[in-house]
Amino acid sequence: MFGPVLKGANGVSLRTPALDDRKLVNRWMLEPETSRFWGGRMMDVRDEAFAERHTKDADDPNSVNWSIAYQEETVGFTGLFDIDWIARDCESGIFIGRSDLYGQGIASEAVRLRTEFAWRELNLHRVHNWISLRNRGSRRANEKAGYTQMGLMPHYGFRSGQWYDDWLGEVFPPARSAGIFVPPSKGG
Amino acid sequence: MFGGTVRGRTSTLRVPADADLDAHRRWAADMRIRRAGPIGRWHEPAATATWKERWAEQAKDKTSVMWSIGAGDALVGYARIRFEGAPLAEILLLDQFVIDPDHARKGYGFDAALALHRWAFDFMHLRMSVTDRIAADDAGRQRILEKLGYARFGHGHAVYYRDGAYVDQYLYQMDRDVWSERWADEREYPPLGDETAR
Repeated sequence: MFGPVLKGANGVSLRTPALDDRKLVNRWMLEPETSRFWGGRMMDVRDEAFAERHTKDADDPNSVNWSIAYQEETVGFTGLFDIDWIARDCESGIFIGRSDLYGQGIASEAVRLRTEFAWRELNLHRVHNWISLRNRGSRRANEKAGYTQMGLMPHYGFRSGQWYDDWLGEVFPPARSAGIFVPPSKGG
Repeated sequence: MFGGTVRGRTSTLRVPADADLDAHRRWAADMRIRRAGPIGRWHEPAATATWKERWAEQAKDKTSVMWSIGAGDALVGYARIRFEGAPLAEILLLDQFVIDPDHARKGYGFDAALALHRWAFDFMHLRMSVTDRIAADDAGRQRILEKLGYARFGHGHAVYYRDGAYVDQYLYQMDRDVWSERWADEREYPPLGDETAR
């Protein structure tokens, strides 16, 4: 499924993804600046393939997908995937395609919005993810939202003559209910 | 895809046959098996027609391989692996590994697991084998993995829910180097001699 609009701080918001967002973000994945810690820089780039994947994501009842917007422009995507509705656990992921905007806190705010949504709206119990240990920006963004290390997988990937380990993180709702309290609507 | 024959000492990984479907229906509905968590739950219980569709999908899926596990004439379980990062996969993900409770504690689990990993490392030359599907209280599968040479690299907290409570998750991996050192004699084929004539 697609997620609703979530307004965040510093011009960052999560938006319901449009097909054009997907095309844009996927093409960014094919660039060297964004793919040191991502994929193999290859994909089916036909329009019909994008449309098919977009529809598949929309129809998937076990995932929530968003586009990330910064100053109203699409800059990446994030989501909650493989939701186990019994264990109330899922995996999370994020990709910022605009490498010129790295280091500006966009991912941190997007992860914060996504994680709060997992607790407040989906009533999830746990969210986990796998991040390249050397991808400091992504790891830091997740740690700021409360993710803690639950494992370290040596030699997960190999790039440019080096082995990369993978960092395994997990996050739970705030222990105190006050941490996720939402003031009731005043109506009207 | 369905996997071909890989012979162990007391068990054999073999191509699943239509006659095995009934066992899958039974295993999917057996709470003793389902209790293991995701490594013991390949689909929910379903009608025969649905199972046939699932098998057809499995046969076509190039990112995973499934075997039936036989011992003599008996069907004693099944195994399913996925390739991480297919089509350029070099990592095996152990997705399903089930021994029928009626055939448990006869050594088939370890024997079939050893054969499966011989296929992975000696035959397919994969780089690593991984599983993130082991419940912390699943002592049987942990014993098998650790005896094979797997090392635990992660511990997820309160991941699986069953019997009214959460249970932790252990994550394991084994590199080909570890396999080669520990199981140097596990070869699918004997070495060929020097080629003296063409």
